[in-house]
Amino acid sequence: MNKRRIFKIFLTTFIISFTILPIILSNSSWPTLARDYLFMHAFDETGASNTVSSIYLGYRLIDTLGETLVLFVAITGTMSILLNLHKQVLQGVETQSSLPPEKRAKNALRTNLVEVVASKLGPIILLFGLYVMLYGHKSPGGGFQGGVILASAIVFLALSTVVKTKLTNSNVLSRIESISFLSLILVTTYVVFFPNGFFRNIATNNSFASATMIIILNIMIGLKVGTSLAVMIIAMMGGQHDY
Amino acid sequence: MNILLLSLILCLSIFSLFAKDLLNSIIALSAISILSSLLFALLRAPDVAITEAAVGAGVSTIIYVWAIRHTKRKDLEK
Repeated sequence: MNKRRIFKIFLTTFIISFTILPIILSNSSWPTLARDYLFMHAFDETGASNTVSSIYLGYRLIDTLGETLVLFVAITGTMSILLNLHKQVLQGVETQSSLPPEKRAKNALRTNLVEVVASKLGPIILLFGLYVMLYGHKSPGGGFQGGVILASAIVFLALSTVVKTKLTNSNVLSRIESISFLSLILVTTYVVFFPNGFFRNIATNNSFASATMIIILNIMIGLKVGTSLAVMIIAMMGGQHDY
Repeated sequence: MNILLLSLILCLSIFSLFAKDLLNSIIALSAISILSSLLFALLRAPDVAITEAAVGAGVSTIIYVWAIRHTKRKDLEK
């Protein structure tokens, strides 16, 4: 290890700590206005006892739509790069790691351990992801978190060749993603026609109906995030994966 | 407890900067995500903890391993 590199790393650390030092040493108290307001009114106005959910699906729906759009654009760019890569470089080369055993290359780093663990853990993680997605308004979690857990469960199912399911087919996954994203855009822009707020949750002041709205939005976001991430990772592991 | 977790995170990040094998750095990064999700859970931010555990330890590790599988091993210093 040369000394120049160590010096660079220490200099970077010093500059970063010097930048955040005023935040640590400052004596001013944290702002409490928004916290108190949310503590008093969040459950009555949006129907979600999880305040984080009530913020990003009740008060700030347009920000959530923008965040989903950012993820959509990122996945689209990655998929276009990956498809070109598969066309140019990997044509005819057996580097797929999600193929059935007889089609797989001999030097692929796969053991029976991966098969067993992935096929046993996959459905359990799928169930847990669905739980986190559906109960985002009550317990910690929500659409994004549940979607990412769903994506890792689908990747586990794609890694194991014992379990045969349609869920690891890229066509099915992209169809689910398109339908959920279309319905998410329709729901979030439909709110414009209602009087109580631009891009805000429709049903306020009625806890039952608004919690239903938050559950529906969570399901849409979770399906979209999960299927798009799963399509991307399955494409990374070797393109189409269909039985 | 927080100090212990933070110092472990610092040690692991220094290790992941200086490790010779990039695969070791990836595993260290994944351990950093798990430790920081534990820290978030202790600091009463369970939403952030779930996100950190799922994204940091799950998906990003898969993507890093894939990127390493598609690159060649090369040493600048002897």
